Amino acid sequence: MILSLLVSLWPSLSQSAPLKFVDEVGRKVAVPFPPRKIVSLAPNITEILFKLGLDREIAGVSIHCNFPEKARRKIQVGSYINLDFEKITFLKPDLIIATGAGNTRDMVGRLEKLGFPTYVIFPKDFDGILQSIDHLGKVVDREKEAAAIIQEIKRRRERVIERTQGLPRPKVFLQIGEAPIVTVGKGSFADSLIDLAGGENIARDEKKMYPRLGMEEIVKRSPEVILISSMNPKGDYRRLLQEWSRWKVIPAVRNDRIHLIDSDLIDRPAPRIIDGLEEMAKILHPEQFKK
Amino acid sequence: MKIVTLKRVTLISIFLSLLLVAVILLSITVGSVKVGPARSITILLQSILGLKGEGTETERAIILSLRFPRAILAGLVGAGLSVSGVIFQALLKNPLADPYILGVSSGAAVGAIVAILMGLSTLSFGLPLASFIGSLLTIAVVFYFGRQDGKIHPNTLLLAGVITGSFLSALIMFFLSVSQKEELHTIIFWLMGDFSFSNYQAIRVIFPYILLSFLFLYSRARQLNLILSGEENALQLGVDVENLRLISYLFASMITAASVSVCGLIGFVGLIVPHSVRLIFGPDHRLLIPCSALVGASFLIASDTFARTLLAPIELPVGVITAAFGGPFFIYLLRTRKVVKTL
Repeated sequence: MILSLLVSLWPSLSQSAPLKFVDEVGRKVAVPFPPRKIVSLAPNITEILFKLGLDREIAGVSIHCNFPEKARRKIQVGSYINLDFEKITFLKPDLIIATGAGNTRDMVGRLEKLGFPTYVIFPKDFDGILQSIDHLGKVVDREKEAAAIIQEIKRRRERVIERTQGLPRPKVFLQIGEAPIVTVGKGSFADSLIDLAGGENIARDEKKMYPRLGMEEIVKRSPEVILISSMNPKGDYRRLLQEWSRWKVIPAVRNDRIHLIDSDLIDRPAPRIIDGLEEMAKILHPEQFKK
Repeated sequence: MKIVTLKRVTLISIFLSLLLVAVILLSITVGSVKVGPARSITILLQSILGLKGEGTETERAIILSLRFPRAILAGLVGAGLSVSGVIFQALLKNPLADPYILGVSSGAAVGAIVAILMGLSTLSFGLPLASFIGSLLTIAVVFYFGRQDGKIHPNTLLLAGVITGSFLSALIMFFLSVSQKEELHTIIFWLMGDFSFSNYQAIRVIFPYILLSFLFLYSRARQLNLILSGEENALQLGVDVENLRLISYLFASMITAASVSVCGLIGFVGLIVPHSVRLIFGPDHRLLIPCSALVGASFLIASDTFARTLLAPIELPVGVITAAFGGPFFIYLLRTRKVVKTL
């Protein structure tokens, strides 16, 4: 009986008193340390956690969490706006990690009231992603792993910048929406990737993060490369190509420089953003990256 | 009101047609890219006459592949919705009637939403088709429930239409609630009505529907006049009221279905154009139908042109402009002219 008592007390024995952190939106969060049951409310958070080496500790993910493959098998607790509070209560997590770009303040407030420590990250640019990896590394007790990841990403980023430095920047149009046509503007991750990859986003100066551009504007700005951000790499592509082929007046169409790119790699603030950057650089400056 | 003679109809039609041509020309000269007015019109005329020469490739692409088909499609839809509005107002004897009142638009929307949720793109052929099928099913259902004792009564039809429309709206809300973020955006964009993807194929597809329906309805103009003066009167004067009601309903619904399938839901046109034309030219359908078509075409082309240029490069939904400009104008008309008791 004493043994079973000890066994049931073991988790709390090895967990010290909650550590106080300040999250990326300034909230004070007291986290039982190290957290053993973590719920992620967004796909980028899930990717970061898995990359940090966690797996068993991840008790729940959002329905959009599709990477890595293991994430798909975790218990799902809802979407950005529709959270399954019952499931979360059932899971009794030590820590919930949310994103400022998707999960609502309301939702975080409710989670707090229910007594679950909730840490919010809010990366706003490439360096912000690295910072989030660093912060989360500290919160889940994987500081060394976080540092290694950040190091690796920085190294690969440097390599891309080196190879594309000084080269002429092709004009790029990144299409993320079809009807209406939506592209990326200043402030979005994809826009900063275009810049880092040695290209010039034709929608860079639009004031919105995801501006809508009319076809007239696109024709006027004559992009040399068109990137289509797709979550569905199969059927859509051919028809979209057909649509674009009507506009041979656009250099990108004339020269057959229309490429598909996985949207998860370029607009998700997670470690794979470096994969997105490398892929983009290969597309914009193919001569530089021939193996 | 002056008596409607063929001469009067012809004169007014010519006048309104010239107005329409002017609106079309105006619309192709403005846009977010500057192409001079003279240049734009020359490019258009040369293209129609089969000549070449003027303008860079970019300018020709913009005028001939973007602005011109957009103007034509908007004109077709504007004419179609206006005539449809005229017919529904006559059929239902209700000044509040518009092409969407009998649920056809909701049926179209359900068709389109199902297509979008199944992964069809708005640029594909399948989506307008799905939307059209949705309309047809709705037309059939409303027609079936709108009959009483084998006849169509305006009020029964109205009730059946409104209730079916409500049910379909509930369905739409359901679909919206289970949609993902990306689909939601596409759905809402479609629902708001838009001409930015106008192309000649869409024009070719809906032109026959609209022309055919217009010709048929115009040929029955006199009979429609008689129906409005009283069912008994009409019957005694030899009008097959029941048959006319049925066929008018079908043609007007078809125009609506065709229009909505290519550009989504654009409101207000089918409501205020018939009333405005009635206030200016009178309630005789021999004048009302062609004038509504011409005025509706001009109105929607002008609204769409405003929508895409007012806050360029941002494009406003055309429905915003039709309501914002159409509403006050109609109120102005109401106040400065005697309201003709027609319905």
